[in-house]
Amino acid sequence: MFYVARRVAVSLLLLWVIATVVFLSLHLVPGDPAELLLSTGGAAPDPALVEELREQLGLNRPLWDQYASFLQGLARLDLGRSLVDDVPVIDEIATRLPRTLELILAGTLLAVAIGIPAGSHAARSPGGSFDRVAGWIAALLQAVPVFVLGTLLVLLFAQTLRVMPAGGYVAFAQDPARHLLLLALPAVAIAKGMAATVFRMTRASVLDQLSRDHVRTARAKGLAPRLVQRRHVLRNALIPVTTVLGLQIGSLLGGTVLVEYVFNWPGLSTPLLRAVEGRDYPVVVGIVLTVSALFLLINLVMDLLYALLDPRIARS
Amino acid sequence: MPATRRTALLGMFGAMATLSLPRGARARSQPDLLRYGLSAWPPNLRPWVSTGASAGTVKMLLHRRLTRFNAQGELEGELAAEWRLDEDRAWVFRLRPEARFANGEPVTSRDVAWTIEQVAGERSTAYYAAQMRRIARVETPDAHTVRLVMREPLVTVPLWFANYNMPIGWHGSPDVNDPVAAGPYRIARQERGTFLELEAVPNYWMPGIPRTPRIRMVVYADENLRLAALQSGDMDMVEYVPWAGMAAVEADPRLVLDQQNGPFMDLLFNGTRPPFNNPLVRRACAHAIRREDIIRVAFSGRGTPINGVPIEPSTPFYDPRLAQGLAYDPDRARALLREAGYPNGFDTVLLATSQFGMHKDTAEVAQQFLAAVGVRAELRLVDWSTRVQLGTRGQYEIAVHGVSADFNDPDGLTVVYDTSLSPTHGRSFGVQAPRTVDALARGRAEFDLSRRVEIYREFQRAAIEEVPVAALAWRAQGYGFDRRVTGFRNLPGALSTSSGQMLEFITIAA
Repeated sequence: MFYVARRVAVSLLLLWVIATVVFLSLHLVPGDPAELLLSTGGAAPDPALVEELREQLGLNRPLWDQYASFLQGLARLDLGRSLVDDVPVIDEIATRLPRTLELILAGTLLAVAIGIPAGSHAARSPGGSFDRVAGWIAALLQAVPVFVLGTLLVLLFAQTLRVMPAGGYVAFAQDPARHLLLLALPAVAIAKGMAATVFRMTRASVLDQLSRDHVRTARAKGLAPRLVQRRHVLRNALIPVTTVLGLQIGSLLGGTVLVEYVFNWPGLSTPLLRAVEGRDYPVVVGIVLTVSALFLLINLVMDLLYALLDPRIARS
Repeated sequence: MPATRRTALLGMFGAMATLSLPRGARARSQPDLLRYGLSAWPPNLRPWVSTGASAGTVKMLLHRRLTRFNAQGELEGELAAEWRLDEDRAWVFRLRPEARFANGEPVTSRDVAWTIEQVAGERSTAYYAAQMRRIARVETPDAHTVRLVMREPLVTVPLWFANYNMPIGWHGSPDVNDPVAAGPYRIARQERGTFLELEAVPNYWMPGIPRTPRIRMVVYADENLRLAALQSGDMDMVEYVPWAGMAAVEADPRLVLDQQNGPFMDLLFNGTRPPFNNPLVRRACAHAIRREDIIRVAFSGRGTPINGVPIEPSTPFYDPRLAQGLAYDPDRARALLREAGYPNGFDTVLLATSQFGMHKDTAEVAQQFLAAVGVRAELRLVDWSTRVQLGTRGQYEIAVHGVSADFNDPDGLTVVYDTSLSPTHGRSFGVQAPRTVDALARGRAEFDLSRRVEIYREFQRAAIEEVPVAALAWRAQGYGFDRRVTGFRNLPGALSTSSGQMLEFITIAA
C-alpha cells in the first residue's frame, strides 16, 4: 500500500514539475501572443491595439501572478481557455485526444498484425530467404523517416493512383466507411516503425524460446509443431514484445505530430503545433500536461503491474 | 507460413480489391456543395479584427461591407448603392433599401454608425480602428443615408469599407464580437481547427446569390497536402496553391490555375544606427540583389521582380522608368557603399523567419547577393513569433519580410512605406524618410486624379532615394480548382487576398 502511495505521489510531483517547466519556458521564450494574434497575414498592428489586447488577455500581469492563477486552475482541473478564440482547453483536448488514441491504436494493431507473424515465421528458419528479405524491409522501414513515407503514400495512392483520399477526417458516426478509409494511410505510417520493431523483437524472442529446454521437451513428447509453436514458443516470446509495445505506445502519444500533420488528421498534435507557433500558452500547457499525465499513468500502471507480478520490487 | 498458391492468390485478390477502391473511395463532387481547401484555420471570426486572409474569406461570405471590389478590381457598391463626396468633402453613402440582416431587419444608416462606433472605440482592437478614428462625425440624415465627416480630407475612404475587416453589423446585436450579419451564408457546422460548413441564408436579399447552397471548408495547413487534395478530387477548389505545384495544376486537364501577383517580399532596415541609418547604404542593398533569382529559388519562377516601388502596373500611378529605379546593378551598389564610407563593405546580421520557406529562401538569396558587393550578412533564422517580436522592438539590422497592401491604390503602401508610424515587425524600424512620408500624406488628401498621379510619382522618386524599404518581388498567389467550377476570379494585385468573396458566385457543373 505504501508502495502504491509513494508511486502516485511521485507521479503527481512529476506532473507539477512538468507543468511548471512548460509554463515558465513558454513565457521565457520570445514572442507575444497578443502581437501575433493581431499580426496574422503579415499585417502590421498598431502597438496601442497590441497593448489593449495584452490587457484583455491578462498578459501584462506579473509572471508570478499568472503562475499562481494557473496553479489554482490546475487544482480545480481547469486548464484555462485559449488566448486565440477563448475556447476551453479541456474541450479541445476532449475532442481531439480520442482521435490521437484511435490513430495510435490502429497503427499498433497493424504493427502487431504484421510484426508478430512475420517475426515468428522468420525465426523458424533464421538466415532463410524470408528472414533475410523481411530483415531488409524492417531495416528500410526503420530508416525511412515517417514524413517521407507519409508523403510517398499520399503521392502514390492519392495523387497518382487516386484510390485513396489525400487526408482529412470524417467522424465514424457520420460515415464509417470513409472514416476507415481516411484512417488507413496514417495508420500505415504510424505502424511502419513499430512493425519493424515488433518484427525484430518477436524474431529474437522466438529464437530464444526455441532453444529452451521446455520446447525441446515438448517436441520430444511428440506434440504437433504448430501446437509447440503457438503454446510453448509464441506465448512466452510475446512477454518482452508486450513490454516494447507498451513503451512504443507511450512514446507515440507525443510522437504522432508528423503523421497527423502530413495526413491532416485532426488529433492532439496539430493544435499543439499551432499553439506553440502562436504562443497560445494555455493550449500548449494543457496538451503537454494531458500527454504527460497519460504517459505517467501508463508508467504507473506498468510499475504497479510489475510489483504485482514480482513482490520483491514493492518490498525493495 | 510457407508461400503457397493459396497465399499468392489471396495476395492477388487483395491487390485487386485495393485497386477497385477508387470509384467508391473518393468523395464525389456535388453540384450543391463546394468543397474548399483553406490554408489556415481562422483563429476567430470577430468581424473587425484582422486574423488573416483565410478568416477574411469566411468573413466576406458571412457579412456584407459598404463597398467591394469586382472581378476586375474596380470598386463597386455592396450594401451601398452609391457614394459621393459632398461640397464639404464629407463622404455620403446611400444604402440599398432592400438589404437585410440574417434576422430580417433592414440594413440602415444606424447600423453603419454603430459599426464605426465599435471599430473606432477606445478599447477596440479592430484592424481599421485608426482609420475610423479619422472620422470626426457620423451623420444619419435618414435611414438609408450615412454622411461621414472627416477630420481631414481623405480620398481613400470608400476603399476602407471594401476591406474584409470592415463589415457592417446589426446595431442591436447582443454580442459585439459576433454581430448579426447581412451576408449570403451562415455557419451550419464547424469543428475548431478542422472544418467549417456554410449554408446559404434562405431567401437572401441579393437575387441569385449565393449560387452554391453549401460550402465545406476543410483546413489543410500543409500546402502540399492541400494540392494533393485537389489533385485527388477530395476538394473542388483550394487557395494558395504552392508555387512548386502550380505547373502540375496547369498541366492537369481536369484543373484550372488562376494566379495573380498579390503580396510582395521586401527588405526592412533598422535606421536607428549605422550603417543602415544611411540612405546610401540602403540604396546599395536594393541595387545589390537580383530579384529574378529570388523568384526562381523561393517561388519556382512564379512572381515578378520589383525594381522600384511596388506600384500595381495596371493603375495610372505606375511609371515604367521609375519602376526600374532600384534595379539590380552591383557596380552602382559598390559605388554607393564607397560613397557612404564603406569601401570594403561591412558585416551585419540578416533576420528572417525559418517558419515560412519563402522568407528563408528569399533571405538566403539576398545574403549571397549582398555578400557579392561586400555586405557580409550572417543569417539569423528564427520562428515567426520571435521574428515578430524582434522586428517590433527593432532588435535587428536588416530583415526579410512579406506583405500585401490593403488595396491597389498607392495609399495602400502606407503600411510599409510610412516609417513615421509606430514600430511593427512589418515596417523598417526608425528609418527617416521624410519626403516619402510627406508624399504619401499629400497623395491621400488629393482628390484630383492627375494631381494624385504626379504626387505618387514624387513619392516613388523619394522612396527610391530614401529607401525606407527595399521591395524585392511580387509573389504569385494562385487558386486551383476543378474545371467544373465556374464563376470564380482571382482579383488583381493586392486584392488577391480578397478573392474569397468570389466564392458566392461559384457554380459547379454536375
